[in-house]
Amino acid sequence: MGVLTLLIILPIAGVVLLLIPPYGNPAGVKRVALLTSVITAGIAVWALVQFYQQEPGRVRDDLSYVLEEDHSWLSSETFTTRLLNGTLGEIPAIDIRYHVGVDGISIWMIALSAFLMPLAIWGSFSAVRERLREYYCLLLLLQAGLMGVFCAMDLLLFYVCFEFTLIPLYFLIGIWGGPDRRRAANKFFIYTLAGSVLTFAGLIFLAFFSYDQLGHLTLDIEELTQLGQTGILGFDHQWWLFLAFAAGFAIKVPLFPFHTWLPLAHTEAPTAGSVILAGVLLKLGTYGFCRLSIPMFPDATFFFAPAIATLAIIGIIYAALAAWVQTDVKKLVAYSSVSHLGFCMLGLFSLKVAGVSGGVIYMINHGLSTAALFLVIGCMYERYHTRDIRKIGGLAKQMPIMAFFLVFFTLCSIGLPGLNGFVGEFLVLLGTATSSTMKDGLSSGPLGFSYVIPAALGIILGAVYMLWMCRCVLFGPLNEPPNTPDTSAGLTKDLTRREIGILTPIAIACVVLGVYPKPMLDTFEVATRDHVLRTPYISDQPDESSEELGLIIPGDQASVADAFFAKQFGGDSQ
Amino acid sequence: MAEHTLEIALAVGVLTPLFSFWALVFFGPKLGKPAAGWFGVVFGMGVPLACATYVLFGWLGAMEAGESAALTANAWRGTWAVLGDVPITIGVKLDSLTVAMYFMVTFIAFWIFFFSVGYMQGHSDEVAGQRKYWRFFAYLSLFGFSMLGLVVSSNLVFLFIFWELVGLCSYLLIGFYFDKPVPQHAQMKAFITNRVGDFGFLIGLMLVYFHLGTTDLDEAAAVFAQQAAAGTGIFASHFTMFGWSLATIMGVGLFCGAMGKSAQFPLHVWLPDAMAGPTPVSALIHAATMVAAGVYLVARVFRLMTPDALMFVSLIGCLTLTLMALIAVVQTDIKKCLAYSTLSQLGYMIFGLGSGAWIAALFHLITHAFFKAMMFLGSGQVIEGCHHEQDMRKMGGLWKKMPVTCITFLVGVLAIAGTGIPGTQIGLGGFFSKDEILAVSYARAFEWDDASKFEESGHGEGHGGEHADVSPPTKRVMLASDPVQHGDDHAQPTHAVLEAESHGAVGAASIFAYTPKLPKWMFYLALFTAYITPFYMMRAWWLTFMGKPRDDHVYEHAHESPMMYIPLAVLAVGTVFASYSLFRPLIADASIVGSAAPLVMAMAGDSHSHAPAIHVAHDFLKVGVGGAFLVGFLLAIAIYRNGLGLGEKLKRAFGPIHTLLDNKYYIDELYDLVFVKGFVLIANIARFVDTWIVDLLVNLFAAAAERFAAFCGLILDTHGVDGIVNGVAKSSRDFGHVVRLPQTGRVRHYVLAATGVATIVFLCVLWASREASDVALAAVSASLGN
Repeated sequence: MGVLTLLIILPIAGVVLLLIPPYGNPAGVKRVALLTSVITAGIAVWALVQFYQQEPGRVRDDLSYVLEEDHSWLSSETFTTRLLNGTLGEIPAIDIRYHVGVDGISIWMIALSAFLMPLAIWGSFSAVRERLREYYCLLLLLQAGLMGVFCAMDLLLFYVCFEFTLIPLYFLIGIWGGPDRRRAANKFFIYTLAGSVLTFAGLIFLAFFSYDQLGHLTLDIEELTQLGQTGILGFDHQWWLFLAFAAGFAIKVPLFPFHTWLPLAHTEAPTAGSVILAGVLLKLGTYGFCRLSIPMFPDATFFFAPAIATLAIIGIIYAALAAWVQTDVKKLVAYSSVSHLGFCMLGLFSLKVAGVSGGVIYMINHGLSTAALFLVIGCMYERYHTRDIRKIGGLAKQMPIMAFFLVFFTLCSIGLPGLNGFVGEFLVLLGTATSSTMKDGLSSGPLGFSYVIPAALGIILGAVYMLWMCRCVLFGPLNEPPNTPDTSAGLTKDLTRREIGILTPIAIACVVLGVYPKPMLDTFEVATRDHVLRTPYISDQPDESSEELGLIIPGDQASVADAFFAKQFGGDSQ
Repeated sequence: MAEHTLEIALAVGVLTPLFSFWALVFFGPKLGKPAAGWFGVVFGMGVPLACATYVLFGWLGAMEAGESAALTANAWRGTWAVLGDVPITIGVKLDSLTVAMYFMVTFIAFWIFFFSVGYMQGHSDEVAGQRKYWRFFAYLSLFGFSMLGLVVSSNLVFLFIFWELVGLCSYLLIGFYFDKPVPQHAQMKAFITNRVGDFGFLIGLMLVYFHLGTTDLDEAAAVFAQQAAAGTGIFASHFTMFGWSLATIMGVGLFCGAMGKSAQFPLHVWLPDAMAGPTPVSALIHAATMVAAGVYLVARVFRLMTPDALMFVSLIGCLTLTLMALIAVVQTDIKKCLAYSTLSQLGYMIFGLGSGAWIAALFHLITHAFFKAMMFLGSGQVIEGCHHEQDMRKMGGLWKKMPVTCITFLVGVLAIAGTGIPGTQIGLGGFFSKDEILAVSYARAFEWDDASKFEESGHGEGHGGEHADVSPPTKRVMLASDPVQHGDDHAQPTHAVLEAESHGAVGAASIFAYTPKLPKWMFYLALFTAYITPFYMMRAWWLTFMGKPRDDHVYEHAHESPMMYIPLAVLAVGTVFASYSLFRPLIADASIVGSAAPLVMAMAGDSHSHAPAIHVAHDFLKVGVGGAFLVGFLLAIAIYRNGLGLGEKLKRAFGPIHTLLDNKYYIDELYDLVFVKGFVLIANIARFVDTWIVDLLVNLFAAAAERFAAFCGLILDTHGVDGIVNGVAKSSRDFGHVVRLPQTGRVRHYVLAATGVATIVFLCVLWASREASDVALAAVSASLGN
C-alpha cells in the first residue's frame, strides 16, 4: 500500500476505531480522533519528504506524477461491461482505475489539509460538548474525502471524493451548527450539489468521448488531458465541457454570483466546520479548475478567462464591500473569503506561470490565515456567546493574547509583506499584469493591466474591513455582554494553553511561508509548467528580455551592468 | 578590505533590531521597566549605530581610494524567488546615499530610543497592565529593522516589503495608547491612507516588472535608459491616460507610494492625526525617518521617471509645501504645528526632486531629519514638563524652566528657517538645502530655455564639457519631437537622443532639452513659503518659550530632566554638523554614482554646482531667499512679542481665511463624506443586493425547481402519462424515503429537481452542439447495438 492510499485509509481506520468503544468516554473519543489526525499529518509529512526526494526536476514536458499507484477499479470484466456491451464476445475496455498520484500542487494541498485537521479537532475539544463520537467520526471522514480529492488521478475517483466531502460537512453544519443551521446546511448541500451534477454530466460525456476516440472507456485525468491538449477534443466540445465543469467548481470556490451559500454556511457552522470549509473545502473548487478545467480544455479556458476573471474581480470588490458592513464577525470573514478566492481565481486564469503559482500559493495562504481567523473567532465566541461587533469591544484589555493572534492573522489576511498573504497576492497581480497582449504584440495571455487595477483596489478595501473588525473587537472601551466571559469547560479569561498551542503552529507557518516561500514556489512552478499550462500558446513564451537586457548599455556603466547581468543570467559561475 | 565586509556590517545592523524585537516579545515582560528599554537601546539601535559608523568610515575610506564604484557594483545579492522568468534578487544596495541614510537613521533613532527610556516610563502601564513598556521598545526595534531594511534594499520588491513593514510599525505605534479612541482612529487612517498610496506603488511595480523585466533598481534604470533611447519596451506602448504615456504612468505610480508614506497632498491627512501616538514615535517615525522614506523612494526611482512624471512630482510637492505651511501658521497645538511644518518640509523635498534638485532635496532630507527629530523631542519634553498640556496658548516663558530645551529648539528653528549669511558659507541646514532647491527650481522655471544662459551656468561642471557641441537649435528640434509631449509619434522622437547616447554623450544638455519647463507659479509659491516657514516656526518657539507665562498651573509644573535633554543636545550638535561637513559630499557622490541614467544627469545637472555659487549667480535669489528668514522671524516676533493680543486681532481681521486654515481646508470632512460615508453607502448597497437580489435569485430558482418537481410528481405521476417516468419517479421517491435527509422532506425534491433540471439543460446543450451529441449517441448506440 502506497503512502497516498494510507493517507486516505488512515482517517477511515480512525472512524472504525471510534465506533468500537462503548458510549460514555468523551476523553477517549477525543484522544483517538486527535491521534488519528496527527498520525495522518505525520504520514503527510512523510509523503512530502518522499515527494521532494522524487520530484521529477525542472524538466519541461516531463508529465509524470510522483508516488503513483494505479489499480484496476471498474474494469471491463464486470457486469457493467456486459450490460453496456450487449455481447459477451467483444470486450469493450472500460477502464476506470483507482489511480492516485501527486504533483507539486496537490502535495501541498494534502499537506494543508493534513495540517489543519488536527488543529480543527483539537480546537473542538471545549466547543463541542454533545454527540462527540459522531462529530469526530464525521471530521475524520471529511479528512479522508479531502485526501482522496487531492490524490485522485482518475476523474471518477476525483468526483466521488469531491461529492463525498459534502456529506460529513452537511451533518457537521446541520447538527452542531448555530440557530439557523438547518437552512444553512440544506442550502450548502443542494447548491453545491446542483452545480456538481453538471460536472457529472460533463464527466459522462468525457467518458464516452474517450471511448470513441481511444477505444477504451477511460477517465484517467492524464489521458483526458492529452485529448484536450492534442486538439482531439475540439473547441466546440471544450466550450460546453468547460462550462459544465465550471458550474460545479465555481459554486464551490465560490465565484461571484454563486457565493450566497457561503456566508450562511460559515455563520452557522461550528468552528471546526468553518475551519475546514474555509481552509480546505473551498480550495476544491480552485483545485478543480487548475487540475481539470485548465489543462483539459485549454482553448475554452483561454476563451473564458476574461469572463471568469471579470467575475473574480467583481467578487473581490463586491464581497469586500459587503464584508465591511457586516455586524457578525464570522460573516465578515466569510465575505472576506469570497473576496480572497476572487484573487485566487484571477491568478489561475491569468494563465501565466507566476499567476497560477500565485493562485495556488494563495490557496495555501488563505487556508492558513482564514482558518486561523475562524479559530480565533471561535475562541471568542466560546467565551462571549456572541459574534456581534456591536455587542463586544475593547477585548484587547481582557484578552491580550487573543488580541495578538487576531491582529497577526488579520495582517496575514490583508497581505502584509513578510507574512504569507503577500506572496500570493503579489504573484497573482504580477501574473495578471503580465498576462496581456501588450508585450511585443505577442498574444501571451488573456488578461492584462486593466484587470490589475480593480483587483489592487480590492487590496485597499481588504485592509479597511479587516482593520475595522479588529478595531471594533479589540480596541476602544471594554464592552462585554452580561454574564461573560463564560469560563466553563476549562476556559480561562484569555486563551488557554491549548488554544495557544493550536494557533501558534499556524502563526509560525504564516511567517515561514511569508519570508521564504521559495521551496514551495519551486514545486508550484514545476507543476504549473508541466501540468497546468501545457499548451504552448497559453504558457509563457521563453522570455527574450534577458537577451534584450544585454544589448546596449550606455557609456561607462556597461561594465557595472555587465557584472549584474553576469550574476543574474550567467547562472552557475556564482 | 575583505569582500563584502560593508554589506555584512549593514546586514548585521539590519538584523540586530529584529533580534531585539523577538527577544523583547519573549522576554520583555521579565526584564521589567527600565531594563527592557535599555535592552532596546543597545540591541535595537546601539549595535546598528556601531555598524553604521563602521560602514561610514569604511565607505569614506573607499571613496578616498576610489574604490567606491567597484564596491557598489559588486555589492552582494542573491536570488529570493524566481517569478516566471524574472528572478527577484535580495541584496544590499551599497552606495553613498545608502550609507548616508543608514547613518542618519541609526544615529537619530539611537538618541530617540535613549529619550524613550525615560519618557515612556511615565506613559505606559496605565490601563489594566496592558500598555506595556517593553512592547513599546519591541515595536521600536521592529521599526528599526524595517527602516534599515528599506534603506539597504537593492530591489524594488524588497523595498516594497520593508515599505509595508514600516507602515505596520507606524500603525502599531500610533495606536500604542490603544484604549483611547483618538489614536485608534488615527492608526486606521494612517494604514489605509498609506494603502491607497501603495496601490499606486504596486501598479508602478508591476509596470516595472512587466516592461523592464527586472525589479533590481540598477538594472531597471539601465533598461529604462536603453528603452528610452531606442523607443522600445515601455516607450513603444501607445497607451495613454490623462495624456501621460505608459512610462510616465509607471513613474507616477511609484510616486503614489511616496505620496502615501511622505504624506503628500492629497494623501497628507493621516500625518497630523498620527501625532496622537507617543511623542518619541512622532519624532522618529513621523518626522525624521519613515515619512522621509517616500522621498528616499523617489530619489531611488528617480532614474525611472520621465520628465512628465517629474512634473507631477513637482506639482504635488509644491501644493503640499504651500498648503501645509499655511495651516501651520494657525495651529495652536505644539505637536500639530510641528506636524504641519514636517509636511511642508517634505513638500520641499519632493518639490526639489521633481524640479531636479536631487542633491539638495536629499541633503534637506538629512538635515531636516536631525532638527525635526530634535524639535519633536523638545516638544515632548515641553509636553511632559507641562503636565500633558499641548496648547501653546497656555505656555509662554518656559525658557527659565527649560533652558536646554529652549536653546536646542531655537537651533531647530534657525535651521528650518534657513538662517545664514547670504553670499557666505555660514548657515544652518535649510540655508544650504532649501535655498538650493529654490535656486534649481528658479533655473528650471526661468533659465533653462534660454540656451545660451544655460550653457554658461550648466556647463561649468564636469559633465558639461562632453557635449558642448550640441548646439541650441538641435536641442530645440529634440524638444519639438519630444516623445512625451507628442504622444502620437513616439517611436521616432527619441532618435536624436539615441544618437547622442550612441556617441556616449548622454548628459545634461541633451536630456534637459526635452524636460518641460517648470511653471513660474510653482517657483513663486515655493519662494513665498520660504517666508512663511520662519514665521510659523518662530511663532511656535516664541509662544512656547518667550514672553510671559500665560498659565500659572502649567508654568509651575514645568521642568526638564537630563535623561531627556541629553538627546536634545546631541541632536542639536548633530544639526549643526549635518549642515556642514559630512553629508553633503556623500550625497553629491551618490548623485555621481547614480548618474549613469541620463535623466539623473539631466535633472541634477544644475545642482552639481554648489548652492552658494548660485547665490552668487543670482542676485535676486541671494536677496529674495537668503533674507527670507529674517523677514519671517521679525514678523513673528513683532506679532507675538506681547502675548496673544495682536494675534487675536489679526485672526479676527482675517476671519474667513483663518477658519479655512483652522479647518485644514475641510479636506478631512470632504474625505469623510466622499470616501467613508460614500463607501459605506455602497457597501450597504452591496449587502442589500447580496441578500435581496443574488440570494433571492438562488432561492427563487430553488422554489421554481421545487414547483417543477411538484408538477412532475403530481401530473406525470398520478395521471400516468408515461409509464416509465411513472416508474422512475416512484422508485426514486421510495429511494428518497430510504435516504431521507434529516429535518425536511423537501430536500429530496430539491435534489431531484436540481438533477432533473441539470440533465435537461445539459441535454439541450448537447443537442445544440450536434457533433458532440452525435459522438455521445454514437458511443452509446455502438455499445448497445453491437
